[in-house]
Amino acid sequence: MITIDDLVKRRGSTEILSGIGFQARPGRVTGFLGPNGAGKSSTLRILLGLDRATSGTALIGSVPFVQLRDPLATVGAMLDGSGAHRARTGRAHLRWVARSAGLPRGRVDEVLDMVGLTSAASRRVGSYSLGMARRLGLAAALLGDPEILILDEPVNGLDPDGIRWIRTFLREHAASGRTVLLSSHLMGELAETVDDVVVIHEGKVVADGTLDEITGSHRTLEDAFFALTTGNAP
Amino acid sequence: MTAPMTATRSHGREAAQALAAEMSKLASLPGTWLTLGGTLVVNLILAIAFTIAGLQGSTGTRSAVDIGLASIGYAQAGFVVLGVLTACSEHVGGQIRTTLTAMPRRALQFTAKHLALAMVVFPAAAITAASGVVLTAGVLGDTAAPVTSGRVAGALGGVTAYLALTSLISAAVGALVRRTLAAVVVLLGYFFIAGPLLRDHTAVAKYLPDGAGFAMWFPAADDASAVTPAQGALLLTAWTVALIVFVLIGYRRWDM
Repeated sequence: MITIDDLVKRRGSTEILSGIGFQARPGRVTGFLGPNGAGKSSTLRILLGLDRATSGTALIGSVPFVQLRDPLATVGAMLDGSGAHRARTGRAHLRWVARSAGLPRGRVDEVLDMVGLTSAASRRVGSYSLGMARRLGLAAALLGDPEILILDEPVNGLDPDGIRWIRTFLREHAASGRTVLLSSHLMGELAETVDDVVVIHEGKVVADGTLDEITGSHRTLEDAFFALTTGNAP
Repeated sequence: MTAPMTATRSHGREAAQALAAEMSKLASLPGTWLTLGGTLVVNLILAIAFTIAGLQGSTGTRSAVDIGLASIGYAQAGFVVLGVLTACSEHVGGQIRTTLTAMPRRALQFTAKHLALAMVVFPAAAITAASGVVLTAGVLGDTAAPVTSGRVAGALGGVTAYLALTSLISAAVGALVRRTLAAVVVLLGYFFIAGPLLRDHTAVAKYLPDGAGFAMWFPAADDASAVTPAQGALLLTAWTVALIVFVLIGYRRWDM
């Protein structure tokens, strides 16, 4: 369970987040939707202990991320880019991450296989395509076989095959009782993947409910999203 | 659900794993080996040049230690670069976010990173320092001025500690500045321009990191107020620890 409560983030005089609050529950895929700059990444970075909130709380279970005894085995996180230095090979990157949690080398090969990067594992990350870099980021998130996945814009840069693969993967992950929170500014890609939807706009949550509740009388999630974030019903 | 893990890892285990991860990062970064190898090669080339000058009598000394260590003033640039690379490589490709989600306790991760660097640079500095002296002693042969083994050991120990601590200081500055080029410019500007200028013009400069460091291996002038090698080592260690702690205080709070 992820619980975010009344999160406020100010940078200088700019208020980036103005009281964000929602939950992501086990067994469900929660889509965190909003246009670019709405505050999705800021929220996720605070949730992962990378940024500090001005006020409010973001908890994994009952504790902040930085207090998790075994973070890699509890939360798998993928943020923008590969999260890897371009001069290392994909395998070397995963190896140091695995070492930080005392995971065996064999686990690195397992996750490389899961994301379909085995044949590119010995190549430097700098030579990867955008889609391969995203797969490497996902492989790192999966290393500890975590209960919770937090993915920032996971379909960005993936080819249609990759998008299809990640949808199936996330659905299966949630079906096994795990928690999946993913952010996106692309609505079309998400409607078939998510159970719950949280829509954020200009640092505030403007809608929070199941996919059906949010879509409501609108034809598609995308229509509902534009109605919520621009104030113009289609 | 997010129930606590069945086998909670101990703090000791977490620290050992953080050190292993940081060692793995250093070892798998090609820049580490390029910098160390390049520094060793350049140091040997300079040592040959200084030895030739020594054979021609233009160095004013025939001591294999003094001539063999003359190149260290330049070779330290390599150790500065290595320290900076260690810190600033975190900010390439958003790796810092992978680091901090895998090792969220920043004080532990930051300490592990500097410890891993120390474990690499101390032996590397010892090899670099010894290589110049061995090469010079071999070339000079019987023509070398006699030195006591105590003087050799003291000078090599001093140079080794100086280079290694310089690398650690550079890593802390790199973590503060975050950008490789900017950090290298700041540090080389200090060690090669500002430091020497200050040394010539102010008395307190001998207590600064580079002045204190030089006292660890340059033979001290017969001057009662000069910093002794032991005092120099203590001063430079204090500077290094103070700087790492200072940067760590910020590092724990910054948005990454």
